[in-house]
Amino acid sequence: MNLTGEEQVNELSKILLEVGSLLMSSGANSARIRITINRIAGAYGFDVDLLITHRALMLTIYDEEQDYFYSRLKRTSPHSANFRMVSGISRMSWKIVEENWDFDQVEQELARLKSLPHYPRWVVLVMVSAAGAAFCRVFGGVYLELLVTFVATFIGLFVRQEAVKKSFNPYLAIFFAAFVSSLIAGAALKLQIGENPEYAFATSVLYLIPGIPLINSLSDLLDGNIMNGIVRGVNGLMISFSIALGMIGAIVIYGI
Amino acid sequence: MEDLLLYIDRWFWLGVGAIGFAILFNVPRRTILTIFLLGAFGGTLKFIILALGGSIIMGSFFGAVLVGFLSILAAHYKHAPPFVLAIPAVIPMVPGAFAYRAMLGVIHLTEKVDHDTFLKLLEETTDNGLKAFFVLAALSLGVSAPMLIFRRESVKNMKVRIKS
Repeated sequence: MNLTGEEQVNELSKILLEVGSLLMSSGANSARIRITINRIAGAYGFDVDLLITHRALMLTIYDEEQDYFYSRLKRTSPHSANFRMVSGISRMSWKIVEENWDFDQVEQELARLKSLPHYPRWVVLVMVSAAGAAFCRVFGGVYLELLVTFVATFIGLFVRQEAVKKSFNPYLAIFFAAFVSSLIAGAALKLQIGENPEYAFATSVLYLIPGIPLINSLSDLLDGNIMNGIVRGVNGLMISFSIALGMIGAIVIYGI
Repeated sequence: MEDLLLYIDRWFWLGVGAIGFAILFNVPRRTILTIFLLGAFGGTLKFIILALGGSIIMGSFFGAVLVGFLSILAAHYKHAPPFVLAIPAVIPMVPGAFAYRAMLGVIHLTEKVDHDTFLKLLEETTDNGLKAFFVLAALSLGVSAPMLIFRRESVKNMKVRIKS
């Protein structure tokens, strides 16, 4: 490609912001976003300064030879964990360094990563429900409670996926899921199905716990990205309260 | 013997919990077995420390440290960043039960309760909330412990040192 300096910077900034916003919405922490973007920019011989926030990224590229600045802002897409994307971008960033990829190759790879399929819906439903049953088992539940947790998680997760598809507010979607799950597990508690139905009730909503926001929050705080750490922590707290509200709904209805 | 069976049972189910979340987070298919093993061994270490008389916070910390170190070893062979392997693996250790009891406690506190019940509730809620927070802090500190000790920005740089 024969691009002038300015066109090159323009193109590079587009790629870097795309990479950054994909990483942010796929669940990477701030340090990883900064490292990855600096690595890619460094491979093309540019210095980059970054402002990373939860909902937008800003970057300035500086070309020393021509004393030329370029700044750009990009909004991140709604967050949903996708580690296949994080892993793919990490591999790509090393290939850019080691194999001297040009911009076209990078854009093709990004398009390929975006088109990668998620796991089929039924696999996700079954495996997450199995994980819920596994938590119940680790708590000390036996087979009947495991079954209750499995069913409660399955239907709850289904409700959440549907709510997300109908583009409800994300916290509301989690509230619906927690409410439905605790209604099902609460019925088992009310009717005293199994030996320890309270184990099933406690573990039926664990699939909703905001593990990524909370762990990323602490690791951002540890890295000194205090602002991002607080934002992620508050997000995790909001999710936790949505879960609690859903459970309270079921508790009030059953009077347990 | 009974104990051993109990640990094997837990080992298996902890691994199942880890891969359930791995699928939810859409990890690459090649990493699923690794995540099962990381989650199973990390969680089992936590229960062993608990059985030896350690606290839940200490147990979670060392469980997460084990996951952190193993995830760095595995990252080289599976070509995935360590945290992609480590986060689903520590999810079974996330203090969901403490967090949920603390949140229920906060909500119960706002209801009409008499003074004694209020104090008792406040005590339980604070206890559960603090435990949830510190277990979570221990988990994320444990997962990042290897990076903090080796002071590398990327594990890719560590490869050379391990092999030479």
